[in-house]
Amino acid sequence: MADLSADTFFATIPELNARLVAKEISAEELARAFSNRLEQLGPRYNALALPFPQQAIRRAKLVDAEIKRGRLRGPLQGIPYGAKDLLSVAGQVTTWGAQPYRAQVFDYTATVLEKLDGVGAVLTGKLSMVELAGGGGYRLASASLFGPGLNPWDRSRWSGGSSSGSATAVAAGLVPFALGSETSGSIITPASYCGVTGLRPTYGLVSRHGAMALSWTLDKIGPLAHTAEDCGLILQMIAGKDSNDPGSAGKSFYYTPQYARPMKELKIGYAPIDFTDRADASARPAFAAALAALKETGVQLIETKLPDFPYGPALSAIIGAEEASIFEPLIASGRVNELADPSQIAGLKASVDVAAKDYLKAMRLRRLMQEAFQRLFSEVDALVTTGRSGPATPVNQPLDATSSVPGGFDSIIPAGNLAGLPAVAFPCGFADNLPVALQVVGPAFSENTILAIAREFQSHTDWHKRRPPAA
Amino acid sequence: MKITRRRLAAALAAPAFAGTMPSAAAAQTTAGPSDPLEAAKARIKANSDALAKEEVPMSTEPAFQFKA
Repeated sequence: MADLSADTFFATIPELNARLVAKEISAEELARAFSNRLEQLGPRYNALALPFPQQAIRRAKLVDAEIKRGRLRGPLQGIPYGAKDLLSVAGQVTTWGAQPYRAQVFDYTATVLEKLDGVGAVLTGKLSMVELAGGGGYRLASASLFGPGLNPWDRSRWSGGSSSGSATAVAAGLVPFALGSETSGSIITPASYCGVTGLRPTYGLVSRHGAMALSWTLDKIGPLAHTAEDCGLILQMIAGKDSNDPGSAGKSFYYTPQYARPMKELKIGYAPIDFTDRADASARPAFAAALAALKETGVQLIETKLPDFPYGPALSAIIGAEEASIFEPLIASGRVNELADPSQIAGLKASVDVAAKDYLKAMRLRRLMQEAFQRLFSEVDALVTTGRSGPATPVNQPLDATSSVPGGFDSIIPAGNLAGLPAVAFPCGFADNLPVALQVVGPAFSENTILAIAREFQSHTDWHKRRPPAA
Repeated sequence: MKITRRRLAAALAAPAFAGTMPSAAAAQTTAGPSDPLEAAKARIKANSDALAKEEVPMSTEPAFQFKA
């Protein structure tokens, strides 16, 4: 039996891959160790939806046989991972984090999971999430079939949502990487709160076939992992055309850090107020140090403004109209009342009132937003701001109890999602003994650029290597 | 710090959706009707009012098949 020390549970994908290829460890040993850890510690954080220990070990044995034959399938071969419970696995329960769907079973597997299986990654379990990805507008961290997502750095704090279990499981070393999804903030927020690296891909780059739909025109699937490099390696495997996803862009992605432009050539737009007045007071020293570290990479920081649009109302109209149609049977049947969060129930019921003219206006504005961002990205290569304005909120505090100062890039999450832009969040320091993060947003299909910026930052800092105390 | 009228109107109307953390602005709107359903309907009305103020050229068609 190989030595699976604590370091193994926090190793990066290239580190684990090197040990697998060198036959220092086997895929079966990794699957057993990570499965045990996920089952033992997952419930501690309300992170586990459904474990797959037997299936994982069976799959890992096949991977070991392939490696033994010299059939190498790339860096994810033999690497355990978890998936947000909105991704279907044929024959297994997929709850979408919601009571009305607690016994739901599909007869097909999500494309992204098929792709990962094809390169030898080993699914060890499905991970918790905010019910229905929070589409109705939730107010409480407890808005989940699995209970509130508890932060591995401090269980009295929220893990963030809606990809709660995905971020928690990576942060606590329960899986080397996980898949999450974002409609508006659901990867960036939990990645920021849990101190992991999360990538929201460009809309259409990763297939959503087999994923719960919340908004057909906004939903994205993306990875959460320990490093930007890990996210790039995962994205390469899950991206690509899928005829089963009408929103598919038909593009592939190749992670090519070797071709990254020199940092000194990159112009990055930012709003200083994001790191001062708009940031929580406790987080300002960390953000100031992070900006200084970012400058040390050689990039040029240029003060910039976001295009001026009503992002929030447009986003709400689009999600509201699309979810009213998607969840029409749930709302009409009255089973919507089984959800955990009263605000979520009310939001879904009220969504049927979104007028067609408002949806169309929002979708027309979206074109103008895209054009405005294209103009902005002719002046800068990327934008940087905070992942969230401060550390994770207390788990028992209503999520609308915190105040924030308007201005700067305060609308970057709805704006970036409406324009379909990629973003990466990565840890950049601590406040109140909790991680805080930076967020870099780029033009559509600029994943290699934003990952290069995050990777360079991580080569200058060690925040991404920190581990939660209990883990 | 300069805040445009459009930005202020947007902030007052926008609710929390899909993992976005409710902002202070959302807290202001939820401080209105105490009944969650009435509050949700009030947010939809506020969003509608905010969108109605936007002028969009007739030639700008909706992104029915949204592409990034």
